[in-house]
Amino acid sequence: MKPARWACCSAPGAAAFARDAVRAVVRVAAAVLAAGGAALAMAAAADVGDGVIELRRAQLLVQDTMTPPPEHAAWQPVELPGWRNATTWYRLDFDTARATEATRGSWGVYLPYFYGGGRLLVNGEPIALIPEIGSGHRVRWERPQLVVIPDALLREGRNTLHVRAAIAHLPSGARLPRVTVGPLAELQPMHDRRLFWVRTMPQVTVACCAVVGLFVLAIWLRRRDEVLYGLFGLAALLWGVRTLTFVVELLPESWWPYWRVLYHGATGGFIIVMTIFSLRMGGWVRPWLERALVGYALLGPLAYLVSGGNEQLIGRWWIAGTIPIGLGMVAISVAAAWRRRDAATVALMLGIGIATASGIHDYMLAWGSPWLRAVAPEWSGHRFFLLHYGADLLLLVMGAVLTARFIQTLGALEDLNRTLESRVAQRERELEQNYARVAALQRENAAADERQRIMRDLHDGLGSRLFTSLSRVERGELDRTAVAQSLRECIADMRLALEAMAPDGHDFLVAWGNFRFRWQNELDAAGIASQWQVDAPDDASDDAIALPPHCGLQLLRIAQEALTNTLKHAQAQHVLVRLAARDDTLVMEIVDDGRGLPDEVPAGGRGLDNMRSRAQRLGATLTMQSSRHGTQLRLELPLGSPAAPADTTAASAVAAA
Amino acid sequence: MSVSVLIVEDGPEFMRRFSDAVLADAGLSLAGAVSTVAAARAMLDATRPDVMLLDLGLPDGDGVEVIRHAARHHPQCDVLVVTMFGDDGHVLSSIEAGATGYLLKDAMPERIAAAIHEVHAGGSPISPGIARRVLQRFRVAPEPAAATRAAPPAAPDASPLTERETDILRLVAKGLSFETVGQVLGISPHTVVTHVKRIYRKLAVHSRGEAVYEAGQMGLL
Repeated sequence: MKPARWACCSAPGAAAFARDAVRAVVRVAAAVLAAGGAALAMAAAADVGDGVIELRRAQLLVQDTMTPPPEHAAWQPVELPGWRNATTWYRLDFDTARATEATRGSWGVYLPYFYGGGRLLVNGEPIALIPEIGSGHRVRWERPQLVVIPDALLREGRNTLHVRAAIAHLPSGARLPRVTVGPLAELQPMHDRRLFWVRTMPQVTVACCAVVGLFVLAIWLRRRDEVLYGLFGLAALLWGVRTLTFVVELLPESWWPYWRVLYHGATGGFIIVMTIFSLRMGGWVRPWLERALVGYALLGPLAYLVSGGNEQLIGRWWIAGTIPIGLGMVAISVAAAWRRRDAATVALMLGIGIATASGIHDYMLAWGSPWLRAVAPEWSGHRFFLLHYGADLLLLVMGAVLTARFIQTLGALEDLNRTLESRVAQRERELEQNYARVAALQRENAAADERQRIMRDLHDGLGSRLFTSLSRVERGELDRTAVAQSLRECIADMRLALEAMAPDGHDFLVAWGNFRFRWQNELDAAGIASQWQVDAPDDASDDAIALPPHCGLQLLRIAQEALTNTLKHAQAQHVLVRLAARDDTLVMEIVDDGRGLPDEVPAGGRGLDNMRSRAQRLGATLTMQSSRHGTQLRLELPLGSPAAPADTTAASAVAAA
Repeated sequence: MSVSVLIVEDGPEFMRRFSDAVLADAGLSLAGAVSTVAAARAMLDATRPDVMLLDLGLPDGDGVEVIRHAARHHPQCDVLVVTMFGDDGHVLSSIEAGATGYLLKDAMPERIAAAIHEVHAGGSPISPGIARRVLQRFRVAPEPAAATRAAPPAAPDASPLTERETDILRLVAKGLSFETVGQVLGISPHTVVTHVKRIYRKLAVHSRGEAVYEAGQMGLL
């Protein structure tokens, strides 16, 4: 049942279902316990089935012999259940005449408990021999005994049953319950019922506690902050160990002290762990109190070892000390339930209350409380120890409460995830907006940079050219043709700028194509044969030469200046214009076969200086060779030059816009 | 038989310049010189000129409307768009509207007359920038190294351009003159000019087809 509960909570999606399931489990558990109580009560009832004889009186004789004392010995009459502090013989008489014909058949003797073992004889003949303490082992029979009486032994009328009740260490002394004699068919169910409650249940409890305890402790080991899980796992394990001491009925003599230490440690430990659990569950963390409680828990087993196994001291007095602790735990749980007022703490309070009450009941039963015997003589005669069931119920409640918490946590986690997701989404949106803002800003900056360049260019290029022309026209230095020529140069310069700044991207070859188209016509018109070569990388992408527009413009200006010189002054026949982009270097060569540069720079011919300063600004090297057989201009521009990348990014930001 | 020319230009200086160029050429006759869209339409219908010189920015509307009018009602009329720099977007949209050439505003008078004769004779000028735009318009990769690489795989929507036309556009886009293009391709410059004119027609048809398709998409047809 418990493992199944834990298994179902591992599916977080079924949170609501699991919550209902936990409630159902609690209800079922309560019902089972109520039914169990009823069954126990039924088993305790004196008046049982047809032809069944319950023997409430016997004769006893304290005598440690293997054969029953003779008839004439000093037998004493006694009411059952009987108890003597030494191995005792009991003699019980019963009359089969009371049995009807119909119920005849196989008969048996049923002993609800027979802790120390011993012998049973019917009419002097042994019918059962149940191991007793001795020869290196100890016994502690929790199970009920059902012994078959061979038909041949049973006489019509009066029969005698001799029982040797051997002394046991726990519970101490030799005890004989009320003995039931009757047809097996009637006795078997009584025996089975008791067997289930006092033996099968503990076995199941041991298995469940081991599985659940280890499982929960494993969870706790991975999640140390979840102290409640750790406490619950520990409580389950301790309870399993304690119950195990009831399941093992026969063990070697030498193990006995350790066995008892284990028993006491587990019992005390369970109570203490439960107390700490209920404190923590109520939200009280009191380290000193917890340490004191743990100290008390350790005190019992230690004292047992030190005192050489003083059962009286530990079993009676130390265990008694746990009763106020248990009551304190009840008080704590009541306070917690009052404070929290939720189903979990109320259920825990009820569980702790029931467990504590059954613990007190067991304590009184174990030590033969006269008060209990007076209040419930029949019940106490059956010696049902209730803590087994009370503690099981408590563990069940704890498990249910923790499971509910676990499921709640999962639900909270899911909520949290949803909140987080929406927050992340919101953050993403904000980031996107930020990014867009930054990008817009970058674009604006880039655009501003570009505008600045264009303005500077207009100012230095077209502007200064126009102003020079204007002043020369005003001084009357220029005739009509010269003015037209000057204006044409201005237009050509503007055209160049437009070509370079065309929105076709950064492919210098596009601008170069337009430049070539225009200049070839001009050179043709002037009768200069031009040869154009483009030697660009032949890679897969494109034979593009990526250059920021203003770089391209400067290159075109230099080329235009050089070609203008060729056209105007060189008196050349041929011109070779070569553009090559190899190994990250752009080379532009303009070679003519004219008369070369004049020795002195002509008036107004600042062209050469202009070309040099432009090349310098680009980070390019310009070499000029001039002779009487022609002029050769060579410009080398490293494509990865420091000036270019910064400009390229700015330009690409513009392009991205 | 002289070529009759209609001039549509709102700037008086340039109208005079163009008129002078036409009048100075014995092979040309001036059909009219107007400065508005409305007048241009009226004169087109009235005089049915052989060639129209058209500036796009007119006071009462867009010169492209005049081109459309001419293309629809007077397909025999060649339209030369007057442009400042020759490769702007206006030229392309004019060609798509049905213009068959363009003329630079600062062209020398003899160049103006020559251009009119050329366009009437069936030729069309084209600058590298426009060639590039045309290639983009037909979604043809603009710059494969034609010599070293195999012909590009046919685009899914097959370009209406022939291989020869595409080659011409690519070479022109590189800045080669018609003469050089002719040398490279082993054809006469005149043939190059004819090809370019055909490319212009295709562009106009292509854009009209697209317009029809898009109008259909928008539910106008």
